[in-house]
Amino acid sequence: MNLEKVVFGFFTILACTLNFGFFIGEIGTVEFHHPGELFAAIVVNLVALVLKFGDRTHIGATHLATSLVSCLQLIAGALVWTWSAHVAKVDMTPATMATIVSLSGGALLANLVSIVLLVGETLRSSR
Amino acid sequence: MGDVLFLVLRRLRAPLIALLVVYAVSIAGLVSIPGLDADGRPWRMSFFHAFYVMSYTATTIGFGEIPYPFTDAQRLWVTATIYLSVIGWAYALGSVFALSRDPTFRAATARSLFERRVAGLREPYVVVCGYGRSGAAIAAALDAQGVRVVVVDPDAEKVAAIAVQAFAVAPLALAADARRPEVLRAAGIAKPECRAVLALTADDEANQTIAIGTHVLDPTTLVIARVADPVVHANLAEFGGVQVINPYQTFAANVGLAFAAPAVLQLEEWLTGTPGGARPEPLALPRGHWVLAGYGRFGRPLAAALTAAGLPWRAFDPRFEPPDEAEDRVHACGGTEEGLREAGIERAVGVIAGTDSDTVNLAVVKMARRVRPDLAVIVRQNRAYNRAVIDAADPTVTFVQAELMVHEVLQSLTTPLLERFLELARRDGARIAQEACLRLEGALGTGVPWMWAFDCDPSQPGIRQAFEDPARPLRIGELRRDPRDPSVALSAVPLLLARGAGRTAGPAPPPALGRLLGSGALRGRERPGNVLDRSGVGTSRFGRHDDVALPDDSIALAPGDRLLFAGARGVEAVQRRFLLDPTPIGFVRTGVEPARSWVFRRIAARARTR
Repeated sequence: MNLEKVVFGFFTILACTLNFGFFIGEIGTVEFHHPGELFAAIVVNLVALVLKFGDRTHIGATHLATSLVSCLQLIAGALVWTWSAHVAKVDMTPATMATIVSLSGGALLANLVSIVLLVGETLRSSR
Repeated sequence: MGDVLFLVLRRLRAPLIALLVVYAVSIAGLVSIPGLDADGRPWRMSFFHAFYVMSYTATTIGFGEIPYPFTDAQRLWVTATIYLSVIGWAYALGSVFALSRDPTFRAATARSLFERRVAGLREPYVVVCGYGRSGAAIAAALDAQGVRVVVVDPDAEKVAAIAVQAFAVAPLALAADARRPEVLRAAGIAKPECRAVLALTADDEANQTIAIGTHVLDPTTLVIARVADPVVHANLAEFGGVQVINPYQTFAANVGLAFAAPAVLQLEEWLTGTPGGARPEPLALPRGHWVLAGYGRFGRPLAAALTAAGLPWRAFDPRFEPPDEAEDRVHACGGTEEGLREAGIERAVGVIAGTDSDTVNLAVVKMARRVRPDLAVIVRQNRAYNRAVIDAADPTVTFVQAELMVHEVLQSLTTPLLERFLELARRDGARIAQEACLRLEGALGTGVPWMWAFDCDPSQPGIRQAFEDPARPLRIGELRRDPRDPSVALSAVPLLLARGAGRTAGPAPPPALGRLLGSGALRGRERPGNVLDRSGVGTSRFGRHDDVALPDDSIALAPGDRLLFAGARGVEAVQRRFLLDPTPIGFVRTGVEPARSWVFRRIAARARTR
């Protein structure tokens, strides 16, 4: 067992599960999507991104790309939320919530690709 | 670039994650701890505000407690986060600074910067491998001619010193071992802008490796290697495609020439001098008994040159070991005075102070002159800083390796045809040299002329038409008329006609490049025909060429022929019009300015048929 692989797999999967947790639920319903979960998803995704730095293989580059996509999408969602809550100063509408959640849905897709890569790599190494 | 980025990212993974965790924990705490708003109602900080507060707190900017004054619970937490985040930042910044001082990282950055700059070079440049005395002198000379220089030397201190030296355009320099192919590639030897690679390290083996490596990586690149060892010299001559300069043998060949054909040597010195300078006086070395101090790699070729000139000589060298073909002429004694006496200084006409110590050489000159004040003296100067003392001894000839290398390298870079002409003159004896001196004096006077090559490149617009009519060939005399006024002769003397051997039109290089580096073979990127090989180690390469020395005006030119001209300043630019502009050749032939536009050409053609 390799500790690096455990940590790497842990953060990759946690990034995906937190993202999924935020994403799941009626898309326009404000109560179903907690800001804390989005925050956690962003933090864990950033950690996963940094963990993927410095791997020069092809699969490493694809891993890094998926993480970049998910981080960008989640941060975009957080920015939309911040804008509507603090700059526009309006109550959260279902339309805004739907925008945020659909952005996180895109991030979820990228995270799923990341997990597919992780599983594929694990199966290929067969050790 | 990729290397450096990956190195940074890999090394900064831990500090970045530490920062992320510190921020995440702090923000989570701020969001979850309840506060009170301005009216005393319970209030929770949003993620946005928490991130804002953390951003200015962690960076020690400290804007205060916003949007509402904190409760004590919040203050407790913020106190903890201040220490946490300062530690996090200190760790991250410390890692960044440590990385920037890291030798591996600095080498990688320097290498990547160098590679990017070399890749970005869009002008002709010369790669100098080995930045010793010769390398530095050649780099400075090339820089003075406006040619970019790329330097590779394993010594980081020498490379660092380049930054503080006076260059018009600072060379791109890398501290690396040029024997490694990836270093050669990084130095851009395979780029089309690379005009030549000079292997000038102190080590013959290294020069051989660099020369062969370069030739294998890109056979079209001109490679010039300095080699002193006859075995390595023979290897490279065998290998082919590499110009070898052996400074000791070149010098010995010149001394031999001074005995055998002083006129040829004078012509050589005259034509290779600085344009505009005065014609050098013929070097008069007396014939008679010569004494050599030092019988090593400098003394041996000189002794051979003396033998070839039919002159008696004796040598002494403390390091001489008897099983040698010249053992009856070399004394292995240590004392300078004793050595000079043993070698017969009383009956000598000249002395050669050729040891590898400047002090010993000066002592030899001093003692020899005490016995015979009227001696001819040849001195080898080993260290650049000893120039003043060597000059003060007033020798007849001084050998300075770096100066000789600069001279030879520049000559083969700028006018390789001149070397071919001089080789012909050397082989011919005095006839060509005397004839050339007569013609040059008659047309140009005794100053050092400007030299250039005229390339009958059929892809040039001016020359293409001149070769269209086989019944009316282009003659050399036509290129010696002023394209603006055919009744005026250009002050240019053709020295050599190099037949093109049916060279088809290759990719024509832009003329500006040729002007930067003289012109000629370097411009066309074909392998140069000349090898600076006067030692006879390699086979002579000049048999292949149908070179004509001092061609007559009536000789007809063929596409691909190249002409070496000596002439007055600025004549090259005037003559270049024959290449660049389609009308001057017709004008010179007929005296009538040919019609340029299609309509007027048709009218002229119709007028002719009528």
